[in-house]
Amino acid sequence: MLLRFLMPVLAAGLLCASAAAQTYQANLGPMPLDEATKRNMLGRGEATASWDGKTLTLSGRFAGLPSPATKAYLFVGPAIGVPGTESFDLTVSQADTGTLSGQIALNAKQAAAFRTGKLYVQIDSQKAPTGNLWGWLLPQHFDAPPGEPQQGPWFLPQLDTPSR
Amino acid sequence: MPLHPLKLGIGLAVAAAITALGAGNAVPQAAGQAPGPFTAAQATAGHAAYLENCATCHNRTLQGGGEAPPLVGSPFINSWGRRGANELYGVIKASMPLGNANSLSPETYQQIVAFLFQANGATPGTAPFNGEGTAKIGSFATGKMPAGLLDAPVAAAPARRRAPVMPMGLVVAGTVKNYTPVTDAMLTHPSENDWLMHRGNYQAWDFSPLKQITPANAGSLQLRWVYALDEGGRQQFNPLIHDGVMFVSNNRTNTVQALDAKTGELIWENRIGPVLDNLENATRTMALHGNLLFYGATDATVHALDARTGKEVWKTVISTYKNDKVGGMTVIRGKLLVGLTRCDDLSVQDHCWIAAYDTQTGKQIWKTLTIADKGTPGGDTWGNLTNDQRAGADAWISGSYDPELNLTYWGTGQAKPSRQVERGTDGDALFSNSTLALNPDTGKMQWYYQNAPGESLDLDEVYERVLVDHGDQKVVLEVGKTGILWKLDRTNGKFLDLAQTVFQNVWVKFDKKTGRPTYRDDIIHQKADVAIASCPSPQGGHDWPATSYYQPGDLLLIPLSQTCAMYGAGSQLFYEMPGSNGNLGRISAYEAKTLKPVWTFQQRAPFLTSIISTAGGVGFVGDFDRVFKAFDVKTGKTLWDTRLGTGVQGFPVTYSVDGEQFVAVTTGTQGGSPVQKPRTMLQEVHRSETGQAVYVFALPKKR
Repeated sequence: MLLRFLMPVLAAGLLCASAAAQTYQANLGPMPLDEATKRNMLGRGEATASWDGKTLTLSGRFAGLPSPATKAYLFVGPAIGVPGTESFDLTVSQADTGTLSGQIALNAKQAAAFRTGKLYVQIDSQKAPTGNLWGWLLPQHFDAPPGEPQQGPWFLPQLDTPSR
Repeated sequence: MPLHPLKLGIGLAVAAAITALGAGNAVPQAAGQAPGPFTAAQATAGHAAYLENCATCHNRTLQGGGEAPPLVGSPFINSWGRRGANELYGVIKASMPLGNANSLSPETYQQIVAFLFQANGATPGTAPFNGEGTAKIGSFATGKMPAGLLDAPVAAAPARRRAPVMPMGLVVAGTVKNYTPVTDAMLTHPSENDWLMHRGNYQAWDFSPLKQITPANAGSLQLRWVYALDEGGRQQFNPLIHDGVMFVSNNRTNTVQALDAKTGELIWENRIGPVLDNLENATRTMALHGNLLFYGATDATVHALDARTGKEVWKTVISTYKNDKVGGMTVIRGKLLVGLTRCDDLSVQDHCWIAAYDTQTGKQIWKTLTIADKGTPGGDTWGNLTNDQRAGADAWISGSYDPELNLTYWGTGQAKPSRQVERGTDGDALFSNSTLALNPDTGKMQWYYQNAPGESLDLDEVYERVLVDHGDQKVVLEVGKTGILWKLDRTNGKFLDLAQTVFQNVWVKFDKKTGRPTYRDDIIHQKADVAIASCPSPQGGHDWPATSYYQPGDLLLIPLSQTCAMYGAGSQLFYEMPGSNGNLGRISAYEAKTLKPVWTFQQRAPFLTSIISTAGGVGFVGDFDRVFKAFDVKTGKTLWDTRLGTGVQGFPVTYSVDGEQFVAVTTGTQGGSPVQKPRTMLQEVHRSETGQAVYVFALPKKR
């Protein structure tokens, strides 16, 4: 149950996404998988990242990996949902359940990528050495819990993340 | 923190694809035709095993089809040439046959892989393939199929999945009493007691005027009866209801049955056959007219049965191509309109079409191709491809119909092969992924609108065309796999508006006047051996589970899915849609006039039925995780739910008999992307691979 419902349930008072938002959130789920790899890519997690104009401070947690985490990164992708190749190291618990964190100085281009939702968090593990969990840092927003209707409008990344 | 500019951050196969990009794009060629790591005997046995286990999806010619990638030629070599023979074996063994992975013996998998090597030009050697060889496939295979290979004698298929011998034909005889012939007027203005056609009415609303079940009493719904149906096949059919009789079907055995819709009593049963392991296509639609019930069997034949007795009146073969299937089907002005699907062969004779047949005789009246050939309107949108290289634009979902305009609206699927780089043209490829407005009397195309020009990621725009009037404005609304809700003027095809219903990153902008989308840069400049990130995945932001139009509130109730994929280069890898929090299923309500969002509802399991709504203010929908539920159409709040035997999939219906409202829904086990993706991704969900049935619910009986 914990794994299935380890989703960010944010207080209803949270601000809706806006261009001024400086705190982003990521829900961590399995990396791209198929029948051959899926058993090594279980687990869930979450992360938040705050940008103070110079430094990005990131923290998060995860649980239920099939094997201990080995590394964690912050990646820069070309678009939301599109994997990239440029990355920063994060600190991660060497366990199947734990935390991750990091403080990263971003240049202007990387800061723009953060603002436009192109950064994502990735955790590698022993059985999935090229990626077990990942999640895209998107503006903090409210999501109704699974099973509860949300009266519109609601968060859609391509509409509610700054485009520049 | 240190920066790692070249670190790879994605899964194994994706990493392989990017590595391949770095290595250049040249197709590897066999060096001096070194013998492959397999024997001729293995390949011969593998041919038979391939036909038995793989050909229904990948085609007997290995050219692929539907969601199954080609297994021969440059698409195969581009995807697999730089990867080891053992890797191909591992992937196939871990994932195939579809829905029944790792079910064959290791020897059979090895034989199938040997056949694939041979079909791609590899020369058999002396050592058998044992699944462990690491030689790069491109070092011994060219992608060029040896002449005559597919014509070689093949041993009889093993009996592993053969159905037990069963009686065929009209095995249960009976007669429907007091059956009223279905007229054109009845189809235009259906009785609220009936469900006469796919999605209930010509406007494709999936809406019923019945109002006995309300938000106040839906919580007391009870199971009234259940009837077990044949197992196998992609069971996603739409039951039809007329005069208190329910018509159901199964497309593995091609069986049609008539049931008393109130009691579940079987009236007649016709096992038409053939009995096929039909995993590659669903039969969603039947049709009624006069005293006839029309059924499209999986051998590309249409059968007209006497709806009263089940006896066959006529049958017609609509295509002689072995993989072709009956797609959409509807009756308009005395003609049975049929769409062809799985028309995958690269052949002029196998172009997809929509055609009309005489309902009384089965004789074809007209046929309109959905592929534009050279020299015909739109023919220049395929570049220099010869006519026999143009494929796709399947018409696999039934069209809607406006009796006043006398136009029928059909969607078409993507061009094939799906990816531009494999098709060999970056043109728009008309009339793929389009909305077509046809005159049902002549088949003449009155107008077309191409929703997704030159599409590349198996993102169909074939789905239901919902017809809505707002005052004098007559619109047609549609949601495709990208999740774009399109609104067009249905008198002329002019683009009016759009809304994005789920996250999508395939299109970066839309022309405000025409709606024409612009693709993401790496999709425009795609390379054959590099997988492309696609949100949504081929599961679709929206797929065949159809939208309901709740007319009293002008609400579109849309089933949506939230998955992405690394698509192409020989495989698909799935992942959760950013922003979805792992919720693969979503229903969203939009006001049809303004396209403004009204409410949404997310859950872990995707929905696998159409939505129906009723004048009572209650909607119904079923999901992958066996839940069938009623909800308040105005708020999305769940009113009642229950769990059924296996995945709830198909097209629910509601009807009335003797003044009592019933709701029926089917369960099913097999399917395309909407079933396959969650089956892979929802590892915590366990459903039975049997349990196909029709369930009927109603309010408690008054004592």
